[in-house]
Amino acid sequence: MWVAQVLINALVLGCLYACIAIGFSLVWGVLNVINLIHGSFIVLGAYLAWGLYQSLSISPWYVLVIAAPLFFILGYLLQRLLLNRVITAPVLVTLTLTFGLDLILNNAMIYFFKADYRKLTLSPPMGSISLFDVVVPVDRLIATASALALTGVLYLVLRRLRVGRAIVAVRLDRDAAILMGVDVKSIYAIAFGLGAALAGCAGVLMALIFPISPLTSSTYLGKAFVVCVLGGLGSVSGALAGGLLLALVEGVGSTFFGPSHATTLSFALLIVFLVVRPQGLLGRKGFE
Amino acid sequence: MLCLKSACLPVILGIAFVALAGWSASASLAAADDVIRFGAPLPLTGPLAPEGIKQQQGYDLWAEQANKAGGISIGGKKYKVEIVYADYQSNTPRAVQTTEQMITQDNINFLFGAFGSGAAKAASTVSEKYKVPTIAAAASSSQVYDQGYKYLFGTYTPNDTLTAPLTQIIRSQAPDVKKVAILARNDLFPLAIAQEMEKSGKANGLEVVYFEKYAIGTLDHSATLSQIKSLAPQWIFITGYINDLLLIRKQMVDQQMKATVVTMIAGPAYQDFIESAAQSAENLTSASWWHPAEQYAGTDIFGSTSNFVKLFHEKYKSDPDYGQASAALCGALFQIAIERAGSLDKDKVRDELAKLDIVTFFGPVKFGANGQINSLEPPVFQIQGSRPIVLFPQAIKQGELKLGVN
Repeated sequence: MWVAQVLINALVLGCLYACIAIGFSLVWGVLNVINLIHGSFIVLGAYLAWGLYQSLSISPWYVLVIAAPLFFILGYLLQRLLLNRVITAPVLVTLTLTFGLDLILNNAMIYFFKADYRKLTLSPPMGSISLFDVVVPVDRLIATASALALTGVLYLVLRRLRVGRAIVAVRLDRDAAILMGVDVKSIYAIAFGLGAALAGCAGVLMALIFPISPLTSSTYLGKAFVVCVLGGLGSVSGALAGGLLLALVEGVGSTFFGPSHATTLSFALLIVFLVVRPQGLLGRKGFE
Repeated sequence: MLCLKSACLPVILGIAFVALAGWSASASLAAADDVIRFGAPLPLTGPLAPEGIKQQQGYDLWAEQANKAGGISIGGKKYKVEIVYADYQSNTPRAVQTTEQMITQDNINFLFGAFGSGAAKAASTVSEKYKVPTIAAAASSSQVYDQGYKYLFGTYTPNDTLTAPLTQIIRSQAPDVKKVAILARNDLFPLAIAQEMEKSGKANGLEVVYFEKYAIGTLDHSATLSQIKSLAPQWIFITGYINDLLLIRKQMVDQQMKATVVTMIAGPAYQDFIESAAQSAENLTSASWWHPAEQYAGTDIFGSTSNFVKLFHEKYKSDPDYGQASAALCGALFQIAIERAGSLDKDKVRDELAKLDIVTFFGPVKFGANGQINSLEPPVFQIQGSRPIVLFPQAIKQGELKLGVN
């Protein structure tokens, strides 16, 4: 029965990983920017959920509605005011800029929130549900459903809305998009804003499950990176596939080789993908 | 005007900066005669920051008390205490560099060891080279002290002094416990203490059904916990630091894991762990090197354990844990050794440290030939009613072991 438990765990965790990675994937895929501040955005979102719950007893589910526009504005302004200035420079320049921004944000969080670990404990706790000895915590289940809903919303935005189509167009061919009259700078800022909004929302959901500390940002960033390479850049389905694959490899690896080798296995898989299938599971060749 | 805007301004700023630096250097030199400088390399940022900050609180409390009493007395003259901090960002190689920098550039007189067995061991190579007496406030693994070093001392007894009494208590009071599962953070101290537990368990006739390590920074333990659950051990023994253990405890509750005994080292000794884990901390057992319930009447600056707890509470509005107490003890021991040596001579102070055989607020202090303390009897405790209740040693026992962790 514990094999079923491991698979269920992986399924739930995979959706959460997808939620962590999807904003990162969008920014990387559309802007060709490896956004190193993504992990800190997630942590900031977690602090927002924690702070509002502690001070005003606002449920994290409502905080999602607040976090999305707040982080969108933050991301939009960051792209408009800073990143757009170097967006055409080699990737190392944008990488360095986001690295610097991440250092500033992360250290600011250490300064204001301290390095202590916080925990958002819902009162009363949501407990777990069990079916034939397979146990699933309710908070994880709801967070997973919310993560799936968020990815679904992004999918619809990219497919159905005019601005979403413009983002996809810029991703596919920047020059052609300019010729078609797309305001690329604005689209970049919107895509970055969407990425930040998704990171903020992911942070709100992570606050329910994992401890909150500025120190966890690098872990989130590492997961997002691996998910993107496994699943493929810039696509919603790619992030989902990458997240599920990573969680499955970690779960099975931990069971059969011990938990200390779970990360080793996931990074070994990353290297294999980079060599054999650099575009990822669902990415298209040429966009890796 | 153009000159002011382009070239002169930086020049003026530069001169001002140099002047300011010179002034502050001369000011510190003027004061240096009456000051004893203690170097404290600490992980003030990075993953070990919570533990590093605790250690800093202990040093600060001691320095404040020592200075309030006029300072350290040498030959009738009082010297103020100054602690020079440096953040090595939870990065062990940087702890080594920082320690060397403190000795060669910051002119510290004595050193406190870096946090944890791994960093303390690495940094001790430098302090030994320069023959600077060092007391490690947070290093217990025997590998730190088996290097034949003369200038390194440590205030934690070896790891087996924690696991052996714990196992004996469980064996005598929980006869149904037959199988133990051990999960350890892949780090020097947490792994070393898990290995001691494995030895201790086997020696006491327990079957070790699971022994695995988890990587530092692991966020999801659900697969590991599912596997442990399937093995149905009566005793689950998990090591790590606060963050790891809070996370694992939450995920154990999520998976509805139950066991007769659940032991976690080294989280439950910290008040922030108990507050964060709330109800899920109930009945967790643990062991540490010190507990505020102890009642020693010491000859150090803090005097009794209760006075130390009171002073700590006044300064930080919380109860001290063993990490903070050990750091304060290191300062108090240096103070005694320097006063006995009647000099700042490093060799004389080192010899006085080696000779110490005293009672402090932390307990009796006597260092073995390898520099590690060998006089303490570390307490075993259990969280009951959101408070750590001492189960051992008998002299300070506060309650009985309760079985069953849900």
